[in-house]
Amino acid sequence: MPNRNEQPELVAIEAIDFVAPKKYDLSSTVPLYHMKEVQNETSRFDLYFDAGNCRGEKGIPGFTNGLLLSGTPTKTSVQIQEEINSLGGFLESGVAVENAVVSMYCLRENLKDILNTILDAIKNVDFKEDEIKELCADRKQKWRINQEKVATKAQQEFRSKLFASNDRYAITLEEKDFENIAQSDLKEFHEKYYLQGLTKVVIVGNFEEETILEMAELFKPFLASEVGDFDSNVLHEPGIQKIEKEGALQTAIRAGRMLFNKDHEDYLDFLFVNTILGDYFGSRLMANIREDKGYTYGIGSMMAELDGTGYFLMATEVGKEVRDETLKEIQFELTRLQTELVPEDEMQLVRNYMLGQLLKSADGAYAMTDLFLSAELHGKSLDFYNDVISAIHAITPERVQELTKKYLNWEDMAVVAVG
Amino acid sequence: MIQFDRFKLDNGLTVLFHKDTTTPMAVVNILYNVGARDESEDKTGFAHLFEHLMFGGSVNIPEFDTPLQLAGGENNAFTSNDITNYYDVLPVKNIETALWLESDRMLSLAFTPKSLEVQRSVVIEEFKQRYLNQPYGDVWLELRPEVYKVHPYKWATIGKEIKHIEEATMEDVKGFFNKFYHPANAIMCIGGNMELEEVKRLVAKWFADIPAGEINQRDLPQEPKQTEFREKTIERAVPTDAFYYSFRMEDRLHPDYLVYDTLSDILGRDKSSRLYKSLKKDQGLVSNINAYVTGSIDSGLLIISGKLNDGITFEQLDEAFWKEMDKLLEAKVSDDELNRIMIKIRTSNEFQNQAVLNRAMALCMNELLGDADMINHESEKYAAITAEDLQRVASSTLIKTNCTLLNVKASHAE
Repeated sequence: MPNRNEQPELVAIEAIDFVAPKKYDLSSTVPLYHMKEVQNETSRFDLYFDAGNCRGEKGIPGFTNGLLLSGTPTKTSVQIQEEINSLGGFLESGVAVENAVVSMYCLRENLKDILNTILDAIKNVDFKEDEIKELCADRKQKWRINQEKVATKAQQEFRSKLFASNDRYAITLEEKDFENIAQSDLKEFHEKYYLQGLTKVVIVGNFEEETILEMAELFKPFLASEVGDFDSNVLHEPGIQKIEKEGALQTAIRAGRMLFNKDHEDYLDFLFVNTILGDYFGSRLMANIREDKGYTYGIGSMMAELDGTGYFLMATEVGKEVRDETLKEIQFELTRLQTELVPEDEMQLVRNYMLGQLLKSADGAYAMTDLFLSAELHGKSLDFYNDVISAIHAITPERVQELTKKYLNWEDMAVVAVG
Repeated sequence: MIQFDRFKLDNGLTVLFHKDTTTPMAVVNILYNVGARDESEDKTGFAHLFEHLMFGGSVNIPEFDTPLQLAGGENNAFTSNDITNYYDVLPVKNIETALWLESDRMLSLAFTPKSLEVQRSVVIEEFKQRYLNQPYGDVWLELRPEVYKVHPYKWATIGKEIKHIEEATMEDVKGFFNKFYHPANAIMCIGGNMELEEVKRLVAKWFADIPAGEINQRDLPQEPKQTEFREKTIERAVPTDAFYYSFRMEDRLHPDYLVYDTLSDILGRDKSSRLYKSLKKDQGLVSNINAYVTGSIDSGLLIISGKLNDGITFEQLDEAFWKEMDKLLEAKVSDDELNRIMIKIRTSNEFQNQAVLNRAMALCMNELLGDADMINHESEKYAAITAEDLQRVASSTLIKTNCTLLNVKASHAE
């Protein structure tokens, strides 16, 4: 009979093998990264453009991105889609605050052909009026449906408080923003931020160097000569806002603040604080608000990064009748971290958990590439993750308390509750 | 090719081992052969509620999650109408912790009243968050009973109504465990960089002494063939009209199962599919449209759903919709169309099978269906599908008497 009362012996994770992609310089400022270590026939490319929401007027960056494959003087949007699909490509394209990324997943044998199709479509898109009209109508419909979701509403309101000092970051569309989009505005944005806006290329897949060099030539016409500045001093607006929504069964809560990114000296240790508070199933927020009180299906916290800054966010959907109790319990958990030292067994639990998850996030060529890119964004190499490992081993309960007192004061938070 | 070894313990537990030398992580995936279809009609939502209780501590271990996190791992689970699937992902060096935890909860649960009380509330919040407090969230709750009159697929995994979850008792919970949670009703797959002998030793150590349970003979009422068109319109406070055309199809083991899957791709997988091109791009009737199969073990559904453009009526769509169905009945799909879908299927399978967790899950599911090795023959089966097959299946499927239509009408006065 095995001894079921005792956990089998654990082996600690001391080191992780990190493998970086190979870097090619498309220009002095635009890199191409190639991760070759893929074990099967899959491949991916990502094209990063300096075409984020912060670069344009309301909605224009999003509409431009949505129309990238909408047709050229010689091809309709359907023809472009047929070309991509007959090569088995899966497209992902989206706009964030500070960039726009066009990604393609496909088999290795088809990557170069699909790349040609995509680059031709992006280069020659002519923004036909009927395609503009169709996209705006589709987006407006989606927007109206999203307005019915408490989570989306809360996220919108929260962003406007979080990015309070810069409305290009806080951008929130209204119904009228989907009407009367001028073709000339889209063309102008496209010209500036796509045709001369490529800032980074990533290729994952088992390709020979020769193939990569051939593809590198294709990107040359699109390179950005310089990347404009990003706001590194966005300021949030603390305070609590409660919005009632008739008929809602749940209330969506978002609470957080501007914080920092990997460049900051407290970043590594705050990763640990964030995990304890809300970034795993056994976190303080989950243990209290879900597993003890049963107020919610899920609650969590996260850290997000921008080019020059970063922010911290807590999010949940709770029964409408327990909105205020939940806010009180969140506050209680922050105060508890500020006033009581985290017990050693919990420290050890979070250390082990974080190391295991870091091992997992370095598992395989795709995960490793994403890990690399997350460091590269802030000018760091994969050595950064060795620093993460050291920091996880070294952090003390006193340091957790210090950071919590410094950064997690309830009165400093922007809080929104919708529902 | 997904290599695996198979062995069985005396208590009936089926074990699959999939060796992967490329990853530092290991996966323990356990599929229990129980889903919402095994519930009784007055106690629905139970398989899923029970999945939550599986994390509330077992007979010798007060908490499931903490030791796993201490081992650097994480876990999750899902319930469908057919199965309940649990998985742990952790560094391979610490795999024994996962086996210790999983074997203890297969042996017996702690059954604490607190865990039942809390998880009842959590599941009720999940019910609201995913089904009641989302635009179009209750569509499946409405659609299932229209299509299924006798088969237990008539209720969703979350349950028919919140009341059933509120009324779950400890006695119900224990009965459910004894009936379904025992070695012979489970399939476990271990994936990772290990040796078979080591896997056998560890599995025997932790699972061999779990008593065998009684195999539950499933005898579900099968849904008779549908012979008449069914239609229902519900009004909801949503901004846009939505439609769900649902066609009955064969079960998962039927030789035509993958033909149905391919047919749904032809209709509405992507932006070069038939319905997208015709109903959206050419005729401007819809803002989006998709087609997919439910993938259930017993007779499932091929669904075509989407949203109307502003100013378009359900009647306008309906007329154009059936014309498109008729085209598939009258003429074979072109080679181009078929080739396009085949390369997409090949590509998505290659990506899907990349993660060791997905491979472990797929092996368990195929083993439940009869043989884990079926996963290795899927590609050739897809490749053998012809335009004639698609036309034949379309002719018996995409017809009005085999269809249930649910329309969601926007009641917003905007």
